[in-house]
Amino acid sequence: MISISKLLCDLDAEGDGLRYDAAEGSKKPQITEKKQRRPVVVWNTTRRCNLYCSHCYAGADLDPASGEFTTAEGKAFLDQLADYGAPVVLFSGGEPLVRDDLVELVSYAADQGLRPVLSSNGTLITREKAAALRDAGLQYAGISVDGLPERNDRFRGEEGAFDAAVRGIENCLEVGLKTGLRYTITEANAPDLEGVVDLLAEKGLDRFCFYHLDYGGRGAEIVDADLSPQEKREAVRRVADMTLEYHDRGEEIETLLVGNYADAAFLVEYAREEFGEAKAQAVYDYLERNGGDPTGERIADVDYQGNVHLTQFWQGYSLGNVRDRPFGEIWEDESNPLLEALRNREEHLKGKCADCQYQSICRGASRLRALAATGDLFEPDPQCYLTDDEVFGTEAGSMVGGAAD
Amino acid sequence: MVEKARRSLVESDERGNPTPQWEVFVRAEAADPMRHVGSVAAASATEAHEHASRLFGWDAADVWLCPAEAVERYSTRGLATDTEDEESRVSEGADGKPEVQDA
Repeated sequence: MISISKLLCDLDAEGDGLRYDAAEGSKKPQITEKKQRRPVVVWNTTRRCNLYCSHCYAGADLDPASGEFTTAEGKAFLDQLADYGAPVVLFSGGEPLVRDDLVELVSYAADQGLRPVLSSNGTLITREKAAALRDAGLQYAGISVDGLPERNDRFRGEEGAFDAAVRGIENCLEVGLKTGLRYTITEANAPDLEGVVDLLAEKGLDRFCFYHLDYGGRGAEIVDADLSPQEKREAVRRVADMTLEYHDRGEEIETLLVGNYADAAFLVEYAREEFGEAKAQAVYDYLERNGGDPTGERIADVDYQGNVHLTQFWQGYSLGNVRDRPFGEIWEDESNPLLEALRNREEHLKGKCADCQYQSICRGASRLRALAATGDLFEPDPQCYLTDDEVFGTEAGSMVGGAAD
Repeated sequence: MVEKARRSLVESDERGNPTPQWEVFVRAEAADPMRHVGSVAAASATEAHEHASRLFGWDAADVWLCPAEAVERYSTRGLATDTEDEESRVSEGADGKPEVQDA
């Protein structure tokens, strides 16, 4: 995750320590004082969902899967995460609210010292449920809205899903839960970007997460629906422009880019264009501390059957299963050659990524997209939209000879 | 007398639902030991072999694939609880499908 609002607008947030080792300078109470050494863990608590979204990475379905965790197993799994020192557990799905023990599990996670957060389609969050989750210790609710009513409902396979999600957002905000909106851009919903941002401001949301499409789950079937890299660049520019505009108006919405670390390099270039060299340098320094794409390092996923994945989008491969071995043991086991290679990916990156001046703040972006598009784990991410001048630093004002050294 | 480890059977019914899961074992060089390197989701053994090869290199000396649900697992750790017969708690609407609810 890359916080535009932190990097360009100096908006402090609870995740500053986690993301940028910048807890000391932040005015917000911090999730952690030190830069993250353990992963944020996404837990797909169930495969079951009441919607059927065309881009679902988890391949969620209207029916539950066999082998999903019981409440007791869920708690034993949360104990594993707490023992290992995971800072955050993200309750996801499927749709986590179809589990009737969600409040109990959130409460248990909070009691174990984990920070429980939620990823939901929002349609099942009544005011009572929102209040119960808040009382259980939930720290944040991220709700997916992928466009305005017509496009969102088509995407999500259910008429009325947009209105129900907005009601869920309102219910969370009314009970005082920190609430954010997650929007995954594709060719089908790109025209709604501005409308979604208007919705954010109108409802008073705390956070906006702009997701790039990754090529896992059903997402792999809609690779053709992804924007071209050039269109993606323009969309990110629009998000950056709008972030500056709404912060200028006093709407302090934390704004995050997720899923494509080419955005890191773009933001350095953008900062130079808009604010000059000193700001570009400051942005670069923050991003270097952030450490680039977090796959297999600062993000992990455990699916509804206990399989451990490198990110939530990479469901086709599993490092191991928490029913066989505790999460921390699996995550620390670098005898696994894939895990070891990903954690030392600088040694393996090919093509333009091998020579890119922004390698240390991007680290090759999505290895999953590279694998899906080329069959080679270390070829460049097909969604890198940087120009050759930006990659190789041939233009005046490049970071080569400066912060990149 | 040798003390035995207290292992218990790990439940693994239909692992990989809906896509079959294949445990992957790789011997990188001829003289290396065979190593378990996780599992891949694939519809067939051939597809699983291609998938594993993309992740672990086409030059490995040996790659073995085993249907995950065919592996009987006994572990000293894991998620063993004393309420293993408890059902997963997913709620259902009257028609078996959770509905979009009004606030």
